[in-house]
Amino acid sequence: MASPALEVVDVRKRYGPATALHGVSFEVAAGELFGLLGPNGAGKTTLLSIVSSLLEPTAGEVRIFGRRVTPRDRNLRRLVGIVPQELAIYSELTARENLHFFGELYGLHGASLRQRVAAILAAMGLEEPADRRVDTFSGGMKRRLNLGAALVHQPRLLLLDEPTTGVDPQSRNHVFEEVRRLNAAGVTIVYTSHYMEEVQALCPRIGIMDHGRLIACDTLPALLRQLQGLIRLRVPRMTPLLNERVQRLPHVTRAETKDGELLLECGDVKVTLVQLVSLLNELQLPLEGLETEEPNLERVFLHLTGRGLRD
Amino acid sequence: MPVWTIAKKELRLLFRDPRALIILVAMPFIFILILGISLGEGFGQKPDDRLRVSLVDEDLGDVPAKVREGAALLFASPSAAWPQPLGAVALAEVNRVDRPPAEPWSHVVMRDLAETAEIRVEVIPDRRQAEQLLGESKRSAVLIFGPFFSQNVTRASFLADGINPFYRDGVKLAELDAVMLRDPTQLAAASIIEQVAQVTLLRVVLPWMIGRAFEKLSEPSFIDDLGHEVRLPMPVTGRKVPLSDFLILPEHKRAVGSGVQSSLARFFPKYKLTAKTWADLTKSESHAGGGADATAFAEEGGGMLKRGAVRYQILVPSYTVMFAFFLVLTVGWLFVSERRQGTLKRLRAAPLSQAQILAGKLLPCFVLSLAQGFFLLAAGKLVFGMSWGSEPLWLMAVVFSTSLAAMGLALLVASVARTETQVAIYGTLLVLILAGMSGCLMPRELMPEQMKQISRVTPHAWALDAYTQLLLNPAPNLAIVAGACAVLTLFAVGFVAASWWFLKLD
Repeated sequence: MASPALEVVDVRKRYGPATALHGVSFEVAAGELFGLLGPNGAGKTTLLSIVSSLLEPTAGEVRIFGRRVTPRDRNLRRLVGIVPQELAIYSELTARENLHFFGELYGLHGASLRQRVAAILAAMGLEEPADRRVDTFSGGMKRRLNLGAALVHQPRLLLLDEPTTGVDPQSRNHVFEEVRRLNAAGVTIVYTSHYMEEVQALCPRIGIMDHGRLIACDTLPALLRQLQGLIRLRVPRMTPLLNERVQRLPHVTRAETKDGELLLECGDVKVTLVQLVSLLNELQLPLEGLETEEPNLERVFLHLTGRGLRD
Repeated sequence: MPVWTIAKKELRLLFRDPRALIILVAMPFIFILILGISLGEGFGQKPDDRLRVSLVDEDLGDVPAKVREGAALLFASPSAAWPQPLGAVALAEVNRVDRPPAEPWSHVVMRDLAETAEIRVEVIPDRRQAEQLLGESKRSAVLIFGPFFSQNVTRASFLADGINPFYRDGVKLAELDAVMLRDPTQLAAASIIEQVAQVTLLRVVLPWMIGRAFEKLSEPSFIDDLGHEVRLPMPVTGRKVPLSDFLILPEHKRAVGSGVQSSLARFFPKYKLTAKTWADLTKSESHAGGGADATAFAEEGGGMLKRGAVRYQILVPSYTVMFAFFLVLTVGWLFVSERRQGTLKRLRAAPLSQAQILAGKLLPCFVLSLAQGFFLLAAGKLVFGMSWGSEPLWLMAVVFSTSLAAMGLALLVASVARTETQVAIYGTLLVLILAGMSGCLMPRELMPEQMKQISRVTPHAWALDAYTQLLLNPAPNLAIVAGACAVLTLFAVGFVAASWWFLKLD
């Protein structure tokens, strides 16, 4: 059986009296696109720093493709590419020079390096400004180059730490496309973000972190299944019959009348909505207002921590 | 290979950021240029050379003395037709103490000055140049011996018909056909030089006059005069008769004169009152090698830059050493910039050791430091006309070891400073304090002895020691140079060891 691409086993990290990670454990299978979601300060960057051997854990261990990460095993680092949260490129060099430099650090040379750099520039949409100094780039272009710099040596495990912070929507889409393309090409990706929408859109499996703990880790549907959908319904008059019939709908788990509104919690919002509309027709009650709320990661986080992701 | 990759990148960054090049190359050059132009001529002179008495010698000499000197040379010359004994007689005649010296009196004065401790005599070719130097405040005073100086000194006498050069304050220069020209902006310095000249003239003129006066006591004319003045009672008759009645024969007069001289010599045994020089008068020994220190005037350096002036032998190494340590800023900025740009994370995540990262970053800085040192020494020679001394190859060793020490210190600062501001503050303070302590900013000869010892704690002082040997000592002590290079290397090792302790690449 093949080893997971990444195994994080009870990793703890302390900075003096402060604890940044309280025994985090999870696995990422080879070829998986794994999302790590959590608010700022949750410990995501610390965890990625440990995985990429920038930091040593206080306790626990990390394995990459079955090999334990240690400061001495420098060859293991060739398997990993990291895109730090902050830009990590030389602004006085051109885009091409940056990619050449990082490629050479990982042992690429000559024609293969030039080809690889050209491919990255094309993939990142930076062919035209390739020979311009980076300090003349827009924020989005820098972000794309920041991603490209981690890809020159063709890592098998790519660690992306908030890669879209401060970028325009166009560059964000560019990053998303490249992440999907890399993953489709077999690269294992760990994508951290505090943007719920990004993680939800990209990652089939997600770990949720808060205060240095991994509080949930599952596939997206499984995480969402923890929560019910919400339907708010307003009709001219609330009748006892309506109340009774609504509670008998198959997916409804709870129904409550509050301030002239009918509030329903249900397992499947779409099916329940269809049934609800037919019920109102049958009872000849006109619909005055309707709001639905599907389960999402924001609500999952709220459900798990009692706080919003952006609090 | 990764070391070379990082080094290439650093060199590229250094050349794209003009700060480093300006600080390391342009600034020291500009410093040397400005100070070279603005420093006075005394800079770089040894302290014991400083009291310089400048003079112009227009003295034609005493004509009779010249004649006697010519005769002596004629008689003494082995190639002359005259027999040797005759030449020896002529020489004895020339050197008789009752005669003025065979050389011009101005030379006697110059020799006396030159033999005086802490005085350096400089001979300026002519009065016009002396006036020009005074006008430019390059000299505070110049003593001029006029054409009749020797004749007038020879004529100086206590006799009624002689020249009396003395007055309340010493010697009247005008009476002797001499003059002291002064720079009105440096009167204090001029008065010191004048006092020195006065004392010397007194030492030369006074013995000459005293000696001649006492010699008169044995001359027949004086005995005659004495004979007429003194009247002695006859033993039997009691009649007083002049002494001259007893001194009729010349040999009697000579005997009395000789007796007077002998009595004087016995009465005043510590002095030889008939001597013509201060040394003879006071019966003290003359200095050996008198007059050897008198030097001809030479303009220090040429052109506005004063190319070749001795100041560059000090300025160039001083600022080469001082600015070598400005590498602290360059290296500090390289490290801080790597942190600020976040690229240090990528370097640390790459398959590199900490030593490889450091080597890659420091190697181009070291090369830059060497280039800086060689550039400044080359500029010193080509632009400022400095000399590389008699052992120029050793300069390479000094530049190399100084750069090593500078690199070590730079790494130490880079390991402690976390921001550009910290680099600027720590680096600039450190560089200036060490430069001030070590003698880069002012010659160490001007420091108190205790401070000179303290300066040894700086690598700068050792580097300056080596440069001093190589650039100022005509016969450099290579043991000192090699020792200094070794100490500089030890400084480098110590700094690197300390910085390894502090350094955290995160």
